[in-house]
Amino acid sequence: MADADWGGLMVAAQSGDAGAYRTLLGEVGLWLRRYYHHRLPPAQLEDAIQDTLLALHEKRHTYDPARPFPPWLAAIARYKWIDRLRAMKGSATEALTADIPVGDHGEAVSSSLSLDRLLGELKPAQAEVIRLVKLQGLSVIEASQRTGQTVSLVKVNIHRGLGRLSALVQRQADAD
Amino acid sequence: MPTEPMPTEFLIDRLSAGLKPVRRRSAGADGAIIGVLCLVELALVLGMGAMRPDMTAAMRHPSFWWKLAGLALIAAASGTVALRSFDPARSPHRGLRGVVAIVAACLAVGWALDAGDGWAALVVRLDWRQGVRCLVKMVLLSIPAALGLGVLMRRGAPTSMRATAWAVGIAAAAWGAFVFVFACPSDDPLYIAVWYMAACLLVAGSVRVALPRLVRW
Repeated sequence: MADADWGGLMVAAQSGDAGAYRTLLGEVGLWLRRYYHHRLPPAQLEDAIQDTLLALHEKRHTYDPARPFPPWLAAIARYKWIDRLRAMKGSATEALTADIPVGDHGEAVSSSLSLDRLLGELKPAQAEVIRLVKLQGLSVIEASQRTGQTVSLVKVNIHRGLGRLSALVQRQADAD
Repeated sequence: MPTEPMPTEFLIDRLSAGLKPVRRRSAGADGAIIGVLCLVELALVLGMGAMRPDMTAAMRHPSFWWKLAGLALIAAASGTVALRSFDPARSPHRGLRGVVAIVAACLAVGWALDAGDGWAALVVRLDWRQGVRCLVKMVLLSIPAALGLGVLMRRGAPTSMRATAWAVGIAAAAWGAFVFVFACPSDDPLYIAVWYMAACLLVAGSVRVALPRLVRW
């Protein structure tokens, strides 16, 4: 990350330089794509990037030129990531049909590496139902049949598991 | 035939096309704003004649200075932690641990001041009727600081929302209690420790619950 360049571009943007801002957002967008690539399911990648760019835009007055740009950007990206993990707790998941055309799996595989590492921190029962419902798209009932857990237990395990994931990420962020 | 831009590129075009200059946030300026607000509140309270009539005599008690200095220290420390954490890259957690240590130290000093009096007549000393009245006044006096810090927090970009809300709550509560010191009729360390602590916990807890919902970004 070109700290001085990005910091300079942001200072210019704070003064109203639209050209500098466009350049900055373009480069930050690429950085965010790499950042979220290993942290979120591919389906959420574009939304996360746009959400973070909007947050950066709304909070651009909080950037202090006396301090480096990368930690400021990384803090906002991480905040939005944690926010998205929390939001996953309440989001409905639809079952996938068998005849959906499947494209390149490379992105999904690399994302799952990071998610697998996080899921490894959870209890096996929690990790299993989160994988089935939130990542593979099974319904709660299907996950219940697959795992032998009751429907209520599946819901509880998803809720608690995602809560624990958020806490883990937040704790890691605080440690950083 | 040109390809259709990706949605993110649309967004970048839209954001940069409508760009306007912004006034940069500064923790110092925020501190000055909240400082003026708090001083105006203190001046209004004293100007309305709320000061205890025996102030000269009260100033001879160590416990008066203990509560005044302790609350000022807690308000300043937690207020600084809160203002700094409005910057997305600054975490309030270490600062909050420092605030907890200051609170513990203040309580320890109060216990030392109180040690000679013993624990007799506990119920009489706590004077719960007067205590509840004091609690209500302290909660009301903390509202301006809580609102001011809440507005500044909304303008900032805190990334540890709950911890920042705790810092804001403790700062507002300590300031409300600090202002009340000038009107408080009691200099009993036990009374102060119990009722002031209750008021501060009530304010800080309420702010901790409410603020993250109100300033989410």
